[in-house]
Amino acid sequence: MKFRAVMVDPGPMRELTHIVNTISKLSKECVLRLSDDKIYFIVSEDNSGPTPPVLWCEISQSNFFSEYQMIGIDEDHKDIYLGIVSASLAKSLVTLKTAKMLKIKLTKKQCPCLTLDIEMPSSISQQTRQVSHDIPVVVVPRKLWGEFNEPKIPQPDISIELPPLKQLRNTIDRMKTMSSDIIISASAEGRLTLQIKTDTAKVSTRFRGLNVESFEGPIDHSDSETESQTCEDISKICSCRIDAKKFSMFLNAEQISHNRTLCHIIHKRLVVLQLHTKENVDFQCFIMGIVY
Amino acid sequence: MDDGTSQYYFTASMDSGKTLYNLLKSIQFQECAVFCAMNEGLKLTVEEGKCVQASAYIPADNFTEYHVRDDVDVLFKINISVLTECLNIFGANEDSSLKMYYRCEGSPLLLVLQPQSMINVMTDCEIATQIADSILELRDEDVPEVAKLVLKASAFMGLLGDLERSCDTIEINLSPEHPNVSIITYGMQDRSCIDVPKSSDMVQSFSCKQAIRLKYQLYHLRLIMKALAISSKVVLRSSSNGLLLIQLKLEKEDQRQMFTEFFILPLLDD
Repeated sequence: MKFRAVMVDPGPMRELTHIVNTISKLSKECVLRLSDDKIYFIVSEDNSGPTPPVLWCEISQSNFFSEYQMIGIDEDHKDIYLGIVSASLAKSLVTLKTAKMLKIKLTKKQCPCLTLDIEMPSSISQQTRQVSHDIPVVVVPRKLWGEFNEPKIPQPDISIELPPLKQLRNTIDRMKTMSSDIIISASAEGRLTLQIKTDTAKVSTRFRGLNVESFEGPIDHSDSETESQTCEDISKICSCRIDAKKFSMFLNAEQISHNRTLCHIIHKRLVVLQLHTKENVDFQCFIMGIVY
Repeated sequence: MDDGTSQYYFTASMDSGKTLYNLLKSIQFQECAVFCAMNEGLKLTVEEGKCVQASAYIPADNFTEYHVRDDVDVLFKINISVLTECLNIFGANEDSSLKMYYRCEGSPLLLVLQPQSMINVMTDCEIATQIADSILELRDEDVPEVAKLVLKASAFMGLLGDLERSCDTIEINLSPEHPNVSIITYGMQDRSCIDVPKSSDMVQSFSCKQAIRLKYQLYHLRLIMKALAISSKVVLRSSSNGLLLIQLKLEKEDQRQMFTEFFILPLLDD
């Protein structure tokens, strides 16, 4: 097994820092999967069984690295899966925002390590400084690879553009203090509604005029308690009750500079929040619906 | 809309909800408040164990539209932390316009909020209301006022902030003689004293008919800190029975004013 990569562009360096930072807020540990053309960050819940992972982030290596070499275990198992403490990776990458160069290597010290060599410019002289981090990793054995397979998601009932994440985050954070779960619903007419219901208050925030990417209606509401709102066709509304904290955690991704964000809803079952960046990174969060 | 809202007990709207949010936040040391809409303005009152009573008062001219039905009492209990969260639903950096509706007794208070810088977004809130608890009537016209002090709010906040935090009680001595105001705290092993003569910069006016010595729980006095932070002027009035009334005035950019008021009951001498 071998892995060695070099990064020199400031744009991707900044993006990687933000991505790892966001992941470290979502979960203590993550799995870094290295393949020929892509690297993946995967966060899955323990004993999650057949449910999709919490986070799936796909980075195409050619956009990020100027050099990239890797050799997997053998011809049939070309990838490398590494378990890593996301906070240690995030801490090591703090200096990357201003770095000139980053080298990543898989090394064998006392235990397998991901070694980061960061070259920093000096503010007072032409010389550079070299910062080196060894981050212990766990090589994930082949028999467990299946747990980190690409999630298979059924066709979403609706895919709708999200409003600016910062704005969304402000609202979600307020709602989070009042209720542990939030009902998110989207209509084919481009409206996204966030709603909480508690004994003391009912709050709903509506965003209008959002682009609807796709809609596979009509939605069957026959078994649900959805209140029909006046003069609105409820078969065009798709909704899901999700954990407010998980939603808010995804919104940390606001710091990753992004081109567009999408929300896919599978009625009453699953919400997928997806973020695309300039460097063609695909960042997806999966939040299972709560059914009472 | 006019014919629709006239049957409501209470309706009000304002262009900017930020100041209202800050004002309510400054008296939010209890979950629930008594909400009372009168013709002259809106008043929310919070009580801390029958020892402190705090009210926020928003005169009607702060609202662009304000209407209370004459033939009914608009008085109910409401969860003030939920109310402030709702007013702040778009976050601290976003100011929003606000509409309030209250249809009749027992119905929820409806809020409609719209951020100023964004179109296409709005929030509806329905906050449950309950029958109001009775609140203490502390204002007693028969008890004479002994001393009245007008201070600059920021300076008084600095003074309160300087007091030793570990102390339980604070003693305020007011007298017509020098040093007109002295504030004493007693700690485990120390006694500290701050004198404020009436010639001090922070004192805008001072009147005192007879010397009086008052004791309060420091924690109770500290409850006014948030209100001090947003106010420009503070008036302290003390009655002969030891009751302290602190009135704070908040001045908005548009020259309108909002007020907070704290009644603090004295500690009895042991």
